[in-house]
Amino acid sequence: MEKIEITLTINDKLREVSVAPNDTLLEVLREKFDLTGSKESCGEGVCGSCTIQMDGKPVRSCLTLALEADGCRIKTVEGLANGDQLSDLQESFINHGAVQCGFCTPGMLISADALLQNNPKPDEKTVRKTLAGNICRCTGYAKIVDAVCHTGNPDNQCPDCKTGQ
Amino acid sequence: MRLPRFDYFGPDTLDAALELLATHKEEAKILAGGTDLLVRMKKGLLNPKVLISLKALNGLSYIKKDDEGIKIGARTPLADIISSDLIQIQATALSQACEKIGAVTLQHYRGTIGGNILQDNRCHHYNQSKFHRSGRQACHKEGGKICYARDESDRCNSTCQSDGATALMALGAKIILASAGHERTVDLENFYTTDGIMPFAMEPHELLKEIFIPFQGGQSAYHRLAFRSAIDYPIVCAGVLLTPSLTQKDEIEGARIVVGAMGRSPLFLAGESAGLKGKKFTDFAAFQTAADAAMNSAATFAVHNVGGTLEYRRAMVSPMVFRALKEAAQAADR
Repeated sequence: MEKIEITLTINDKLREVSVAPNDTLLEVLREKFDLTGSKESCGEGVCGSCTIQMDGKPVRSCLTLALEADGCRIKTVEGLANGDQLSDLQESFINHGAVQCGFCTPGMLISADALLQNNPKPDEKTVRKTLAGNICRCTGYAKIVDAVCHTGNPDNQCPDCKTGQ
Repeated sequence: MRLPRFDYFGPDTLDAALELLATHKEEAKILAGGTDLLVRMKKGLLNPKVLISLKALNGLSYIKKDDEGIKIGARTPLADIISSDLIQIQATALSQACEKIGAVTLQHYRGTIGGNILQDNRCHHYNQSKFHRSGRQACHKEGGKICYARDESDRCNSTCQSDGATALMALGAKIILASAGHERTVDLENFYTTDGIMPFAMEPHELLKEIFIPFQGGQSAYHRLAFRSAIDYPIVCAGVLLTPSLTQKDEIEGARIVVGAMGRSPLFLAGESAGLKGKKFTDFAAFQTAADAAMNSAATFAVHNVGGTLEYRRAMVSPMVFRALKEAAQAADR
């Protein structure tokens, strides 16, 4: 089983790496590039904590071979913030208390970010449908959904939100 | 969970892929989206020596229409099918089924329609971790001689839980299987063996290339029951197609009722379908009769192996078929 050279554009940086055929993209991101934001929980595509964006589309990195991602643009949760400046979505998660244990958060952010890029003002139903593949065992989802909705519609009245206070 | 070791090939042309498949046969598996295959490999249910990736074969990803019907490339991602207006209008059941597969972030971009048809049959005694399975004797599907789902069964009773296949069978779809230098077309309803161990009547050197949905007029619909609206596989599902008579627009000429997630393959119920011929699109009593008959026929195939009690799953066949019939009839009536 030979190692194969692949090229990935990870969070806008061109990277080269040699991978084995049975390395998943998640393993490469975490172990070779130290991008440990994406998490492995179930390892079988059910929970969504390993979600990353491949060419702008949210996919499960635990069920994607690194070789299959050769030449693709990859965006992980580390790519959302601009240096120390968090993205609006990340700020909104904080302001709404949408993070508890935080294990699902990277996946939630990446799924929500992919939605907001295509649909900047999603309604609650769309947000719930889009995040249906990401499981959270702490928050009960309400605050996460609020946080995503509020990012797209910042003028909405939102009783729980600390934004603008 | 680590994947087992294998060799990876990413052929540039379909011919090269078929050549590789002909060389490696049983030792090779086709990798499209990987959302079913890689999970099975991680659990040690499957250990192919070679994976042949369809990544470079963009020519297998298309939705086209001609005079006779719709042609869908086997590698077309589910997201493309869901967003296609053509499928939404002409093959509504398929659009509804694909929308319910997995979750947006899980299957829709990586998962393919071909992969959904060819997803292996499931059973909650078989689709378990290596550790779980190590505690007991191997079942039929693992090469043993026991069935944990049905006592004393001499064969595997794993269940086909494909949403796409159920909808496509209702639509009367055909599939095109390619092998090196050869191609054959099979009606989807004839594509299944009655064996849960290898549910598909295809050779190891064959590759699913295209799905063809003939234009038959009429309206189709798909309904399913699952524990959660996303991620889960259906525990009961039904796809139907109702075509109107050419002379009497309010009368049903042909019907196809297919019940899924109850047997080793989606079940096309010919008798119940024929019973709807000549009925009016507004005759809901006839739909209820057909749905109850479908429940009685399909119930005999089911075993307790995909979650939910068996009684509940059997009882839910009728509402699923009825809802699908009602929806298709109302769409045709418009």
